[in-house]
Amino acid sequence: MQLVDAELQESRQVLPGQWLQQYHAPALAVSARAGQFVHVRTGDWSGLVLRRPFTINTADPATGSISLHFREVGRGTAWLTHLRPGDQIDMLGPLGQGFAVDPRNRHLLLVAGGLGIADLRMLVDEALRDGRQVVLLYGCRDASEVYPSSLLPDEVEYVVATDDGSVGHHGFVTDLVLDYEAWADQAFACGPLPMLRTLAGLVAGRKGRLGVATLGRKRGGGRPVPLGSPAARKKAFLQVAMEQNMGCAVGACLGCVIWGVNGPQRVCREGPVFAFDEIDWEATAGVGTHTR
Amino acid sequence: MKAKKRVVTYGKAAPPSRGAAGGPVPNTRRTPTVRTIRSAIVEPRPASAQRPPSPATTPPVAGRARSAVDLSVDLGRGLVLRNPVLVASGTFGYGVEYADVVDVERLGAICCKGTTLRPRQGNRPPRVTETPAGMLNSIGLQNPGVDAVLERYAQQWAGWQVPVIVNVAGESIEDYVEVVRKLDLVPGIAGVELNISCPNVGKGGLQFAIDQEAAAAVTRAVRRATELPLIVKLSPNVADIRPIAAAIAGAGADALSAINTLSGMALRADRTGPFLGNTYGGLSGPAIKPVALRIVYEVAQVVGIPVIAIGGVTGLDDVLDYLAAGAVAVQVGTAIFADPTLPVRLVDQLGEECGRRGLASYRPLIGTALPNRPNAASAKGVEYRP
Repeated sequence: MQLVDAELQESRQVLPGQWLQQYHAPALAVSARAGQFVHVRTGDWSGLVLRRPFTINTADPATGSISLHFREVGRGTAWLTHLRPGDQIDMLGPLGQGFAVDPRNRHLLLVAGGLGIADLRMLVDEALRDGRQVVLLYGCRDASEVYPSSLLPDEVEYVVATDDGSVGHHGFVTDLVLDYEAWADQAFACGPLPMLRTLAGLVAGRKGRLGVATLGRKRGGGRPVPLGSPAARKKAFLQVAMEQNMGCAVGACLGCVIWGVNGPQRVCREGPVFAFDEIDWEATAGVGTHTR
Repeated sequence: MKAKKRVVTYGKAAPPSRGAAGGPVPNTRRTPTVRTIRSAIVEPRPASAQRPPSPATTPPVAGRARSAVDLSVDLGRGLVLRNPVLVASGTFGYGVEYADVVDVERLGAICCKGTTLRPRQGNRPPRVTETPAGMLNSIGLQNPGVDAVLERYAQQWAGWQVPVIVNVAGESIEDYVEVVRKLDLVPGIAGVELNISCPNVGKGGLQFAIDQEAAAAVTRAVRRATELPLIVKLSPNVADIRPIAAAIAGAGADALSAINTLSGMALRADRTGPFLGNTYGGLSGPAIKPVALRIVYEVAQVVGIPVIAIGGVTGLDDVLDYLAAGAVAVQVGTAIFADPTLPVRLVDQLGEECGRRGLASYRPLIGTALPNRPNAASAKGVEYRP
């Protein structure tokens, strides 16, 4: 974790209301892992007192640049869209625990709902770099919001679902998961809370439904690992990236908790990536909502 | 006045622990020792005599001679801070969270997260949201309990030069007393800040802050339980703060800190209900600075003990305002979230400001805005109250 001055290199609107900005921040680019985030300070003139957390969308250690993908939802993000190339902003990062891919796994299933793609985009790069196969399932409201495939590497199998059926599958992205879950070794998801809750429900019954999950394993599945430990995370079939309103983003203020099975979990410190069985899905109502 | 006072020593080699004969000696750098007090008034000294000469215990930053101005402040009962910029409870965790980006040793003191007798899970999320020039929080005193806090952090704190003041919260007087008893005589604990004013817990806490009898009772009970320097944090959610502040001062508090958050709320974006999981939250940030300034101004005129100002400090101007209104020190809170290095910068800026005005100490800045009266606000320890 460090405080850096990042220089805006490029800013463009990739989708209606959604921006992709590239910053020069070599310290972050070399140390960031997929799923981690930066805490960005907005301008003082606006009377905003909190930083804004953004997942690192991509990081390129070679050029020392990182990119952020965000939606303009309030005054803080509006301020960011008005920046010009060359402007410096203050970032704290990289923060949080990223995605933990089990090194033995070859087939990764990524499920993104809307802006959730911002959390998973860097995992695509990391997985392809490590020689894994990636299927990306993407769900959104209609054709106008579909994430451009030009922003994705060619090696990804990219499947789209829209709520109104204007492109791809007509329905929720979670409907597509059943086609791929037998193929997948591990799954990663980010998106609206109902989507994540549905996925967690699907995954909870997976072992029984597929009936092959324990083949080749010792009886009992080996040594038990405590819930929430790095080992348990890595073994979990589904990892989800959560979001919550945040204060300090370093674990001091306890403002960004979500309700886990073992009590409150800080999204900024224990998360933002959790194994699906760490979250108390019934109690996690209200996550990802904003006052404005 | 008692013949002997306990003095917490900072930056000086502590004498060998006399009580623990033969036993393993813990980290004794800041073990409270008993000795006759000479004078708790920190006299402005020439710059050459600013720090104790022992090179082994002199903090590494001293060599750079950051400022020749005397910024030290005595909060009473031997709690002498090297500078008057503290970090407010709840915004700095236990001092270790920001260690990567902040030189915590340069702070005046750290007020740690509110600590209760038993572990608390806190309120339902969401717990924070931004408001115009401020933020609402309803953490609900989530903490692992005093035993776990001491076990995890006390040893680390004992190794720091910066004093750590433990913020204590509870639901009953017995809770407060028991927590404070556990803190007493623990190396690494420099003082206690009583949180009698948390607006975010259903029962307990707040009721002590809004009633002068109850406030005095809890202060008196804690005072009897410990010799640690005792700071009591006032709530702004009252009609008139002055009788409460006076009662707390009369009950034996060494210092007051003002203010805690103001009770407030926010609605969901679709206006179907309250946004925060706890419905109500505490408002902090620049938005509450005028309220805090008023309360500091009022309190400083009715008590003779030091007042620590809290509320929307985001720059040197805010520090100077609070000093002028009668505070002897300030706590930085919400601003840390946006700018973690702000408290350390404020220390430097305050020193520079004093240097620019040709002051050897920042003390002449205190209370300049108060109406003239014989019994001026004190920057000294409680035992030197006239």
